[in-house]
Amino acid sequence: MKTVGIETPTLRLYGWSPSAVSIGYFQSVEQEVNSEICEKTGIDVVRRITGGGAVLHDFELTYSFITRKYPQNILESYILICDPIIRCLANLGFDEPRFVPLNDVLVDGKKVSGNAQTRKEGILLQHGTILLDVDIEKMFRVLKIPQQKIQDKLISDVKQRVRGLNRTFEQVSVALEQAFSTKFAANLVIDKITSQECVDAQMLIETKYGTHAWNWKR
Amino acid sequence: MLKHYVYKSDKLIHILLEHTTKTPKQDCTISSISITGDFFVYPEESLDTLEATLIGTKLDRYDIRQRVWQWLQGSQVFGFDIDSLTEAIMRCFHTGEDNHKI
Repeated sequence: MKTVGIETPTLRLYGWSPSAVSIGYFQSVEQEVNSEICEKTGIDVVRRITGGGAVLHDFELTYSFITRKYPQNILESYILICDPIIRCLANLGFDEPRFVPLNDVLVDGKKVSGNAQTRKEGILLQHGTILLDVDIEKMFRVLKIPQQKIQDKLISDVKQRVRGLNRTFEQVSVALEQAFSTKFAANLVIDKITSQECVDAQMLIETKYGTHAWNWKR
Repeated sequence: MLKHYVYKSDKLIHILLEHTTKTPKQDCTISSISITGDFFVYPEESLDTLEATLIGTKLDRYDIRQRVWQWLQGSQVFGFDIDSLTEAIMRCFHTGEDNHKI
């Protein structure tokens, strides 16, 4: 976010290889993640800078959107930035995708996208997932279930409430780019991460996001 | 003893709580508290402020609620409200499980 000294909003689209788990800023790795299973199966675990829940990043398109221009009202800003996701899904042929406050997008009553937002030094970052497919059993192997819930019931329940789009990464990314371009009346300029940004990212991994102090903060 | 309680509001709230022992002269007060969960707080750093503010607070529903109310004057929360967080803390105090057994 600190590289956004320019006034150009930036949309980034990416996938995950291998799978990884991210937890919300206010969550605890110990409470939310089966760390031993993640370590044995090569699944990285990282704390996000945004709130919300634990996510297994697997078969999905992940986006991040950074801008200096946004509504001060938090719900309004979620509505604004989730709207391109709604448009993307509609253009892919899904009937009546809808936004559910604060941060979810549903198709046929099932969650296909979760989003989270933070604001630092006048810059808003919203990022989120668009599910392409879901491995519920894998999710429940790596994420801890609260003690008061019965795992079998929860797996069945989650299958009723979460779904993948069954589209390719490329199909969704093209549709999402077009939706952002339309929503914000903007011409998208395709670019790559600069070498300086790679250096900065590596430094952030080494000094913050890859550290035990950050990830086990709570 | 470190007590743990999970409370279901709009989002899940985990409370980890240590408190002083009640004496003839003083009620129990919070000696450490951690509030975690899948909620959203803006600005994010303000939750640390709330946890620090709660230390030394009497484990009384009114006192807890007052501290949370004061904190909410400068923060926005999505996923719980003043009453649900107060209830979560009080339930942890009264019925929380020993965290070392979890």
